[in-house]
Amino acid sequence: MTDTPMPSTPPAALKLEQEKIISLPAAVLGVDISRDGKTALAACMDGGVYSVDIDSGRYEQFGKHASYASGVKFVPNASLAISAGYDGALLWHDLAAKQLVRKVDAHKFWSWKLAVSCDGKFAASVSGQYLAGGYKYEPAAANEPTVKVFDIASGELRHGFELTPPVLSVAFSPDAKFAAAGNLMGDLRVWDLESGQQAAAWNTPDFTSWGIIKSHHYVGGIFGVCFAPDGAELLACGMGPMKDPMAGNGKQTWQRFAWRENPPQKRSQIADADQGNGLMETLAFHPSGRYFVMAGRLAQGQWNAAVFDAASGALAVSLDTKMRIAEAAFSADGNRLLLGAAVGQGKPKDGKRPDFGRIAVYAWRSGE
Amino acid sequence: MSHRLNERLLRAGCPRDEHTLHRRRFLEGAAGAGALSLMSFSGLFSLPAFAEEAKRSQKHCILLWLCGAPSQFETWDPKPESAYGGPFGAIETSLPGVRFSSLLPQCATIADRLAIVRSMKTKPNEHFQGIDLLNRGAEPRPPFVRPTLGSVLGQQLGQLDSPIPSFVLLDPCPEGNEFKAFKAGNWAGWLGAEYAPVRAGGEFKIPDVARLPDLTAEDHEDREALRRFMTKKFANERQSAAAASQNAAFARVKGLMSCAHLFDLERLPAADRQRYGPGAFAQHALLARHLVENGAPFVMVANGMNWDCHVFQHEIYQMLVPEVDKIIFQLLSDLEERGLLDSTLVVMMGEFGRTPWLNPARGRDHYPDAWSLALAGCGIRRGVVVGATDPDGVDVTEKPCNEKNLFATIFTALGLDPYAEYDLPGLPTFHRVEDRAEPIREALA
Repeated sequence: MTDTPMPSTPPAALKLEQEKIISLPAAVLGVDISRDGKTALAACMDGGVYSVDIDSGRYEQFGKHASYASGVKFVPNASLAISAGYDGALLWHDLAAKQLVRKVDAHKFWSWKLAVSCDGKFAASVSGQYLAGGYKYEPAAANEPTVKVFDIASGELRHGFELTPPVLSVAFSPDAKFAAAGNLMGDLRVWDLESGQQAAAWNTPDFTSWGIIKSHHYVGGIFGVCFAPDGAELLACGMGPMKDPMAGNGKQTWQRFAWRENPPQKRSQIADADQGNGLMETLAFHPSGRYFVMAGRLAQGQWNAAVFDAASGALAVSLDTKMRIAEAAFSADGNRLLLGAAVGQGKPKDGKRPDFGRIAVYAWRSGE
Repeated sequence: MSHRLNERLLRAGCPRDEHTLHRRRFLEGAAGAGALSLMSFSGLFSLPAFAEEAKRSQKHCILLWLCGAPSQFETWDPKPESAYGGPFGAIETSLPGVRFSSLLPQCATIADRLAIVRSMKTKPNEHFQGIDLLNRGAEPRPPFVRPTLGSVLGQQLGQLDSPIPSFVLLDPCPEGNEFKAFKAGNWAGWLGAEYAPVRAGGEFKIPDVARLPDLTAEDHEDREALRRFMTKKFANERQSAAAASQNAAFARVKGLMSCAHLFDLERLPAADRQRYGPGAFAQHALLARHLVENGAPFVMVANGMNWDCHVFQHEIYQMLVPEVDKIIFQLLSDLEERGLLDSTLVVMMGEFGRTPWLNPARGRDHYPDAWSLALAGCGIRRGVVVGATDPDGVDVTEKPCNEKNLFATIFTALGLDPYAEYDLPGLPTFHRVEDRAEPIREALA
């Protein structure tokens, strides 16, 4: 296994310019952007699923979950969106009619993350409650498959895969033939969607903490996974181990794996010099395939969103948005980056509760 | 003492708690009787009827110490209609109109055995100060150190014939940030080292207390008698607190030698261990029940400071609260089934609550302004919710209660005078509960 931290040599002329910050009533846990880059979808903690006109900043709620809405995605080639929530449900929304067209009770527990394949055929949702399974609070096994893949056209369950809960991240390969997921304990899996067979299984211990200082249980895990554009490698993100599992101050971390090798090999990871401290929750490749963004929360350091050169792993651009970012999404032309996020909820003032959801809109200036 | 005590023992038909030979009464009586020897009282316990009655009427307290401060929203005071309510929702309980967090489904079925206080309102919002306040029942008044609840109850409820320490702290986590600092401090205060906790759980094993195989019991007793004589002589000549502490330590070790097996989790039935759940806190809650069954007056169960979830609030509470749900259900059910619930007070609390509003990390911060706790068992009214908070849980709207009200409630529930004055020559006047703070009457049976 190779483990070569990359040097930090920022490419010239790449810039992210903040266009605007859009406020939403509740924390944004999932965000997506339309192909034309004009409309955002947001899944929020109030259960609301929102459509946002990015230029005007106006938003409209078109869906509602019984608990937090945790993810929302446009379905390619259709006037359709799918959302997921902590109610365990997946909702199909007709975007033109602003109507709910299907509800699937996908899980007994929360949907932590939602993914839709780029061909518009599959939706994947991951779940699982962390329950004590041993003296040291090893996670107990789930009582249902924690990774579920649904046929978007019919709403039928196509696959139910087993992975120790909680499973916090999921992604499809660019060719929509594989799905990958990662969990609290650093377990990573890739499944072949045609055969339903497991294609790869490995563990990385670098994202999981067992509390030494304050409490004895596990925390952390792999919060984001993303296939590289060629599908041959899988990236995972989260934060490095902490002594105090409550502090959220592990090293901001991504790792990159050649998952087709047997066993899968770690090819690279974030350079030590580029790491601050804080939970990283999302990974997204720029449509050019030359860069990827990793974002989340800053505990200590300089940034909570950063663009990395895909070839070298070098940090190219970084931002401190002063928010906890849950998900990042690029427009199809690559000129816009959306960051779905939250600030502190705030005390009620004059009987009103402050908005605390945010969509940060950035213009991508490559200078090329 | 002997006259008073024997008169009580021989009195038929009086309340059973009157039959208890408490360490406190023994010491009071011994002081009055002067030359009475310990042996003569030990002899009393060789009478099976006396020993059995004393054991039967023993009162106990188990403190499930949820250190780090649990969220009231995810436990006893859910606010599902509020923007601050969190993702877990609420469920109906066996008390009409009363809802608990959906993370407490088993407790919901025994709400009619619980007293929930939803209107705790205290001052400190930092851990150490909060832990200190909720363990001692009063704000610090340096240089005097008020004993913790466990030390006071250990002294008051402890029995002469019990080899089990009067105050057991089960906490497998050696660390715990501010709780670690508190643990390193003076638990027993002015009561003296004799009433400090014996710590066990996890890596804190009851030390090697087995008598050496080549030492006979008679030789062991002779050595102990010699040690007592020498220490007494030393203490008499020097007025030494250190000697008193040393005596307390030896007495404790002697007790532990005969009860170390009670601390062995491996000896507990596998079915019981499974019922409570596999985690360290659950296993030690079971151990607490076992110790109480065998006479322990006060057992405190903790697990580091794991309720302090500033960052991973919902990610951790999905695990912590269901574990506590199962523990409370099993513990109260077991105590009831064994006829011990009416004589065992179970207190479930931390040092304060959590903020209604989520911080930027989506966690909840410290919040002493409006928080909840639960009581059950000895002296506690069944199926009552005391106090209330506003729809967002920001403030108490009914029956604010503080630490003094709580301690007055605990002492009253256990049949102890909450306003008793400590006998502390040379010190200012202190009471078990200062300012004659009222107990939470609605929570008392």
